[in-house]
Amino acid sequence: MTARLLGVVTVAMLVLTGCATNVPARREPPPAPAPVIHAPVPAPVVIVPKPEPTPSLPPPVAEEPAPLPPTPDKPAPATPVTSLLASVQAAVAAGKLDQGAALSERALRISPRDAQLWYQLALIRARQNRIDDAAGAAKRALSLAAKDPILLQQINALLQELAAKGATNSGK
Amino acid sequence: MTSRNSSSARPKDSPGRFRRYLFRLLWSVVLLAVLLVVYRCIWVDRKIRRDFQALQWALPARIYSRPVELFAGVHMNADDLVDYLQRLGYRRTAKVDRSGEYKVGGGHVVLRSRGFQFWDGAEPEVYADLTINGHRVSKVQDADGADIQLLRLEPVEIEQINPSTGEDRMPVTLADIPKTLITAVVAVEDQRFYTHHGIDPKGIARAMWANLRAGGIVQGGSTLTQQLIKNLYLDKEQTLRRKIEEAVMALSLELHFSKDDILTAYFNEIFLGQDGKRAIHGFALASQYYFARPLNELRLDEMALLAGIGRGATYYNPLRYPQRAVDRRNVVLGRMHDLGEISDKDYETALKTKLQVREKIVNRNGYPSFMQLVYDNLKRDYDKDALRTQGLNIFTTLDVTMQSKMEDRLDDAVARVERDARKGNPLEAAVVITDANTGEVRALAGGRKRGYSGFNRALNAVRPIGSLVKPAVYLTALESKQFNLASVLADQEIELKQPNGEVWKPQNYEREADGDVYFYDALQRSLNLATLDLGLKIGVDKVKQTLTRLGYTGDAQPYPSFLLGAVDMTPLDVAQIYQTLASSGFRSPLRAVEAVTTADGKPLAFYSIETKQVADPAAVWLLEHALQGVFERGTAKSVAPALRAHMPLAGKTGTTNDLRDSWFAGYGNDLVGVVWLGHDDNQETGLTGAAGALQVWSTLMQAFDVEPRQVPAPESIKFDQVPLTPTHNGAQRDCSATQSLPFLADAMPDVAISCEVNDSFFGRVIDRFKGLLK
Repeated sequence: MTARLLGVVTVAMLVLTGCATNVPARREPPPAPAPVIHAPVPAPVVIVPKPEPTPSLPPPVAEEPAPLPPTPDKPAPATPVTSLLASVQAAVAAGKLDQGAALSERALRISPRDAQLWYQLALIRARQNRIDDAAGAAKRALSLAAKDPILLQQINALLQELAAKGATNSGK
Repeated sequence: MTSRNSSSARPKDSPGRFRRYLFRLLWSVVLLAVLLVVYRCIWVDRKIRRDFQALQWALPARIYSRPVELFAGVHMNADDLVDYLQRLGYRRTAKVDRSGEYKVGGGHVVLRSRGFQFWDGAEPEVYADLTINGHRVSKVQDADGADIQLLRLEPVEIEQINPSTGEDRMPVTLADIPKTLITAVVAVEDQRFYTHHGIDPKGIARAMWANLRAGGIVQGGSTLTQQLIKNLYLDKEQTLRRKIEEAVMALSLELHFSKDDILTAYFNEIFLGQDGKRAIHGFALASQYYFARPLNELRLDEMALLAGIGRGATYYNPLRYPQRAVDRRNVVLGRMHDLGEISDKDYETALKTKLQVREKIVNRNGYPSFMQLVYDNLKRDYDKDALRTQGLNIFTTLDVTMQSKMEDRLDDAVARVERDARKGNPLEAAVVITDANTGEVRALAGGRKRGYSGFNRALNAVRPIGSLVKPAVYLTALESKQFNLASVLADQEIELKQPNGEVWKPQNYEREADGDVYFYDALQRSLNLATLDLGLKIGVDKVKQTLTRLGYTGDAQPYPSFLLGAVDMTPLDVAQIYQTLASSGFRSPLRAVEAVTTADGKPLAFYSIETKQVADPAAVWLLEHALQGVFERGTAKSVAPALRAHMPLAGKTGTTNDLRDSWFAGYGNDLVGVVWLGHDDNQETGLTGAAGALQVWSTLMQAFDVEPRQVPAPESIKFDQVPLTPTHNGAQRDCSATQSLPFLADAMPDVAISCEVNDSFFGRVIDRFKGLLK
């Protein structure tokens, strides 16, 4: 009896909650490929492979389905971006920050949605004490790093550090 | 007495004394003259020493295009690559041996690059075999078949900012000058160069004899040293005094400087042609000017030609008088052969070689519209003098292939949509193409004609933007989270009292009000009344703030008409705003300059990529979902079939009152393009954005092979089913026909409207409650 009463009350509360506002909810995406890319709904769109051959960056970037098959056993093959990234790191290690930044920008022109590259640029700008530029690049990295928890953590740590230094580029 | 004595003595002593006096006077005059001459010689000597030691040419700034990057997977077809190589003056050969050569065939382009000093480091000379499948490079390999990760070709020099003298040159050291060229010049101009002391009496005598026999001037007796002096002091005077002074200068030069120093100066100084207002000085530049190749890539016949035209660069100009130039070349070859400097075989081959000047005069009109943007970008940091004299290298973002494709098509594309092609008042155009991610300007047109250099409409035509403003209205609403794509807006007639007391009664373009419409649909079909309904609810001020965040810098009054585009901007301003949308809410200032280096390649300034988050990426993603629908079912659907291979794309049409301006702004993954069409006198064009600018945009984007827009959904995006027909009333909801739309997780559609799977109201409430708890 009490249990039934409780049930009725719960349902009533739920109804009230539901009617009161446009309730935020989290749901599973529909089964179609729609949530992955912008595409006319409902017809799934045939995807042309992306130009940037960045299937094997150290931390994979939030991209549409990778056009190349995964190669988990072999070491990641070198790509233009990884080879540039190595040059970036070499330049930074040698204290050539301007050159490092220029090289990461060259890589970004080739692969502009690469979270790791934006993060590298943010790190260099932070070392150059260009705090707002660093924050901008870090935010951009953050927006692209959705599927890489480690990178996300690193970016958030950097953003905190920059906020402490008074970055103004922390949002709108 | 004394006077008498002296007067009486005068007649007696007069002749001797007078002679002595005269002699003394003469002697003094001669002495004075000698002293003057000696003084003049010393003066000349010192001047020569000083001038020559400090010899520093005012060097023009060189403006370079964006370099082509080659790697496996890059978007590049064989035709575009070959076009780029030709702009660099690469020579097509059967076998690629030397730098600056390429061959094409069987799906391959093989080349040997030249290497280049970029602002971020040196690019080495590389041999590369590229496999090209259609629109993409699939493999880049070296001579041994090993993969090359990345290869950057040299940039194309698009323009120079010349010194006020108009002289242009590319100074080189003696080591950079091919031996054969030196031999050729010495053979034809001054055979005893290495043995004389600045002037060559034997040479003069021989020239005089030759001229006497020919009855005119056929040979000069000037040594290279004398010619150098003549060029350095730019004096055409042919007086004896001038000749003597030149001789003194030549002797002085030889006294103080080595033959190598003199030769180097000669090779850099000598005048070798005139290109409009630009004077071509020195062999290195002449090589680029006539053959579009560096000195070290020239063949014997080409070197002989350059050596020959020094005598009369205008008369022997190979571009204008090929036969004269070839005759002169053959004289040089003959002289070299006579002197035993070249073998019989080389002589015969060179003699028979057809003159091959640069393949095409690439873009004779230059890039005036784009250059204006470059100047605008540079003027903050460099004054005109620095640009004209210091030999700076300026690396820009211009994509020469894209610019050329645009110029090839723009005029015709505008002509195709032009309604009333009246003389004297043509439909004009402006185009801005930028990189969708970095804000770099790739191509720019300030008018519809190729190489147009007048009023730059892309930078300076300030026009109302019409419906191009609408994305700012809808983005403001999405960011507020009070609205989502399935919000139902009222597309109904409205009367608004304006500040001046007049009543404003806006209408839809189709003149009919649609009643209840979905948020996304109102944007896709560009419904004015629904947009006003939305914009007035969220506040015109807020919309203006959004537009400012996106990149608008003006100060239009936030009246309701602002919501329908009563705000003036240039095409470049519009490109900035759509650039921010294409970058998912990150604003990067549009730029035309990448970096500046000194004459010897040291980096001086980097104009780096800046980025600042100015909008919520998830809200921008939703907005873009609607903007993609513009092509699928909205105002841009007319071009969807033609752009099928490039879809999805995002964009928006814009039309202003009385069809005075026709706009389209849109983007794919790689490019943002803004097209404006209109008349300079603001007459009606008879064109909507869809009938005019959109058609031109579509033509250009097909030519650029724009990449489909594919941006992964942010984590916070969820999909939900809503009825196809919009309704405010849950009871009338028709879930028999639904559509899936994306939403921000914290701005889902009203539960009453949703058609999610569990199709009972309570079920949906519970679903959502469960969802909240997850």
